[in-house]
Amino acid sequence: MKVSRKDFIKGMLLGSAGVAVTSQLGFMTFSISGTNSIKAIVIDYSKCTGCRTCEAVCSASNHPVSVAGEALPGAGNPDFSNIKVWHFNPPLDIPVTCFLCEDAPCIAACPVKPDTVTGRKALYRDDVFQTIQNDLNRCIGCQSCADACREERGGVIFPDDLGQPQRMCTLCQGNPQCVKFCPYEALSFLEITPDMPLRMMTPEKINQLLAEAYYQ
Amino acid sequence: MKFGINGQLLEVDLTTRTISRRAIPESYFEAFFGGRGLGMRLLYDYLPGSGTDPFSPENPLLFVPGLLCGFPFPSASRTCMVTKSPITSPFKKKSTYASTVSYSNMGGFIGPEIKFAGYDAIVVTGKSEKPVYLFIEDDRSELRDAEKFWGMGTNDFDKAIMDELGDRRFETAYIGPGAEHGVLFGSVLNTAARAAGRGGTGSVMGSKRLKAIAVRGTGMPPIGRHKAYTDLLKKTRVSFMADSESKNDWRYGGTANAIEFSSNRGSQAVKNYAEGSFVGVKNINADAARQQVWKRDLACYACQLACKKSGFAKGAYGGVVHEGIEYETGTMLGANLMIDDLNGLHTLIELADDYGIDIISLGNVLGFLTECREKGLITNDFLDGIELQWGQVAPALEMIHKIGRMEGVGRVASQGVRHLAELIGQHSSDFAIHVKGHELAAWNVNGYAKSIGMSYTTANRGACHMNGGKPKGQDQSALRDSVGICSFAASWYRDDLHPAMLINAITDSNISISDYDKVGERIFNLEKLMNFREGFNRQDDVLPERFFKDAHTIGPQKDVLISRAEFELIMDEYYAERGWNPKSSRPEEEKIKMLGLDFVQL
Repeated sequence: MKVSRKDFIKGMLLGSAGVAVTSQLGFMTFSISGTNSIKAIVIDYSKCTGCRTCEAVCSASNHPVSVAGEALPGAGNPDFSNIKVWHFNPPLDIPVTCFLCEDAPCIAACPVKPDTVTGRKALYRDDVFQTIQNDLNRCIGCQSCADACREERGGVIFPDDLGQPQRMCTLCQGNPQCVKFCPYEALSFLEITPDMPLRMMTPEKINQLLAEAYYQ
Repeated sequence: MKFGINGQLLEVDLTTRTISRRAIPESYFEAFFGGRGLGMRLLYDYLPGSGTDPFSPENPLLFVPGLLCGFPFPSASRTCMVTKSPITSPFKKKSTYASTVSYSNMGGFIGPEIKFAGYDAIVVTGKSEKPVYLFIEDDRSELRDAEKFWGMGTNDFDKAIMDELGDRRFETAYIGPGAEHGVLFGSVLNTAARAAGRGGTGSVMGSKRLKAIAVRGTGMPPIGRHKAYTDLLKKTRVSFMADSESKNDWRYGGTANAIEFSSNRGSQAVKNYAEGSFVGVKNINADAARQQVWKRDLACYACQLACKKSGFAKGAYGGVVHEGIEYETGTMLGANLMIDDLNGLHTLIELADDYGIDIISLGNVLGFLTECREKGLITNDFLDGIELQWGQVAPALEMIHKIGRMEGVGRVASQGVRHLAELIGQHSSDFAIHVKGHELAAWNVNGYAKSIGMSYTTANRGACHMNGGKPKGQDQSALRDSVGICSFAASWYRDDLHPAMLINAITDSNISISDYDKVGERIFNLEKLMNFREGFNRQDDVLPERFFKDAHTIGPQKDVLISRAEFELIMDEYYAERGWNPKSSRPEEEKIKMLGLDFVQL
C-alpha cells in the first residue's frame, strides 16, 4: 500500500509508540507498546439487520474502476468485499471483517522469514493504520494465514487463485466507508480495548453466543 | 439493452435433466424490464398454448429477479416467481385446466444472487422422476439429489442445505412439505420466512419435484453509465439515511403497524371477513409484538427499512423462533380467526411457513371452515374431530398439520375455499372469500370497494391486495415487481430518483417517464391477454357475495354494504379506462397494437 505523507503523519499521531515498535518487531508490536492504539471496525451485533450495505460499499470503495481516466467507486459486487455478513438460522446476521487482532495469528502463521531490515514477513502490519498487508513479492501462496484466521478468528482472508491472501480490511485509509454508510449505525471505527465483546472469534462462535442471548 | 443485464437465462428441463444457457432477446428487457414483466414475456414463450395443465411438465416455473436486483439500491432485492396458476379458474371453463397467470414476489437475497451468478431468469420445465435441487455456482450448474430433503420442513431444510453446501454465501429458495404433497397454495421461501406466498407457485415447484434452488454467484453485469450510477446510488442511500417518520415506522413495526390501523378504520379481515375491526387487536399489534416477541430487525438486500422482525415466542407453545408477525400473517391467522393470543399466533405462523403454505389462503380456509362449523353446515366428522372455533389456537394448529400433510380433511381443505364451498354447498359459497378461486388478503372490502375491492377483482392472478384499484396504480405495481423495488420503499424512488433514471444509468438507455409507464401497462395487458385466452372475462371480475350481503356489526364500516349497481359502474369506468371491451373483456385491437402486444395469439 502506498502511504501519502499526510496519512503517515496522521498515523503517527494515532499511535506513535506502536508505530515505532512495529517497524522493528513486526507482529509483536502492541502488547509491548503498552498503549493500545489500534483502531478497527467495531460491530454492534444488536443493531445489524443483515442488509449487506457494508459489503456493497466496501467493495465499491476498495475496488474502484477507471472510467474515461477518472477513478470511480466500483459497482459494489459483494464478492469483492472485505466485510462479510454471515446469515444464520435462527435469524442472526454476523458481519465480520478483519479484527486487526493484537496478536495477529495470520502473521504468526506466515512462514516467510522476517526481512532483516524491516522485520516484516510476507504478511505484516501496516505502519500507519495497523492493517494486515501482504507483500506480493514475498508471499509464497501457502495460505497458512487464511487457515489460521479461519480456525482461530473471523475467517476474513480469502486467498486468490495464486493463494495470495485477499480481503483484509484496509480501513479505507482511515475513513471506513462501511461505517459511514451502515444504515443502522451497527458499525463504528473505534480504538479497540480488551473488554470489547464478540471480537477475535469465528462467526460461528459469535452466532452461538448471540443465539443463546436472543433465542433462549 | 446491452448493459446492466446478463442477457442470459438458465433453462432447466427436469424430465431430460438437461441444463442450458440461452440468450434473452434484448427487446424483452426494453419492453418488459425484468422480474414479473420479463417473467410474463417468457411464460408466454414457454407455454405451449392455452389450457396447459398447471401441474403438467409443460408448465414452466420461472425465477426472475427484478431488473435492478443485484445493484445495491435500497430494497431492490425482489424476485418474482412466475408460472401458470394451479389455483384459479373461470366460471365458464373453455378447457379443463383453464387458469390465470400467476406471479408472486419475495424479498431477501436470492434475486441478487441469481444476477451475480450471471442470469436474468431461471426457467424450469419438465418433471423430475425423483426429488432434486438445482445447484448453481456461476457457470456451473447441476441437478442434485434431494430425496433426503423431501418432506423436510422449511426451517430444518434451510439449515440442512447450508450444511450440505458448506458455504454460507449460497442463497437458497425452496418449498415445504405442503407443496410437495400437493397443497394448491404452496409457497416458495428463502431464509425460512421470506415467502413468495401467493398464487401457488410453490405447488407448481412441488409438482416438478424440485425441492430447491441453491445459487452462488461472484459476478455483476457491466454498468452503462458508471458515473451517473455512482451518483444516483449515493443520493439514494443518503435519502434513505435521512431521518424520516416513514422509515422509523417501517423499522419499528414493519407491516404489523397496519394491524391496529386497519382495525381502527374497519378494513381488517376479521371473523372470515364478516367484520372489519377486531376487539382483541391490542393484543396482537406491533406494540405487543415488540414488547413480547420480537427480538431483531431484519432487512433484505441493501434495504434500509428493516421491516422484517425475528421473534421468539414463549408461553404455552414452548420456545418458537420465527420471523413475524406481519400485517398479512398476523391478520389472517389472528384477527380473521379471532385469535388474540400473540404467542399462539406466532406459533401458527411458524407452522404454516414450516409447511411452506401461503398464510393468506390458509387463513381463509381456516376462517371459512370455522364459520361452516359454527353455522352447522359441517359435522365434526367432516373436520376429523377438530373443533375449530373462533379464537382457539390449538384446533387451528391441528388443522394446519392436516392441510400440510394432506391428511383426512386436509385433502379437501388444501384445495382452497372455492373447492370447499362446492363440496359443502348450502350457500357456503356466499362466504367463501375468493376471486377467480384465489383467496382475498387481509384487507376487508366493505367501505373500500373502489380501492381494495377493485384491486381484488381486476388482478391478473386472482384476488391480489398489491394490485391497486385503478389502472395507473396497477401499472405502477407491475413496474415495481419488474424493476425489483419493494413497494414499501417506493416512496423514496421518485423525482430525481425515479426508477427510470436508475435504469437509464445502469443500462445506458434513454427511457422517458412515459416510456416507463407504458412498460407497466404492457405487462398488465400481456397478463390480461393470456387470461382472456384461457376464457376469463368480465363475469370473473367479481367480488364474493358476502360483501354485498353482510354488513359489519361493529366499527367504522358498520352497516356499510357495497351496492351491486355501483360496483358495476366502477367496473365500467375501469374497463373504459383500460381500453378493454366491457362485455367480452378483450383488450381492444388499438390498445394491443399501441402496446406492441400483437404477437399474442388469442
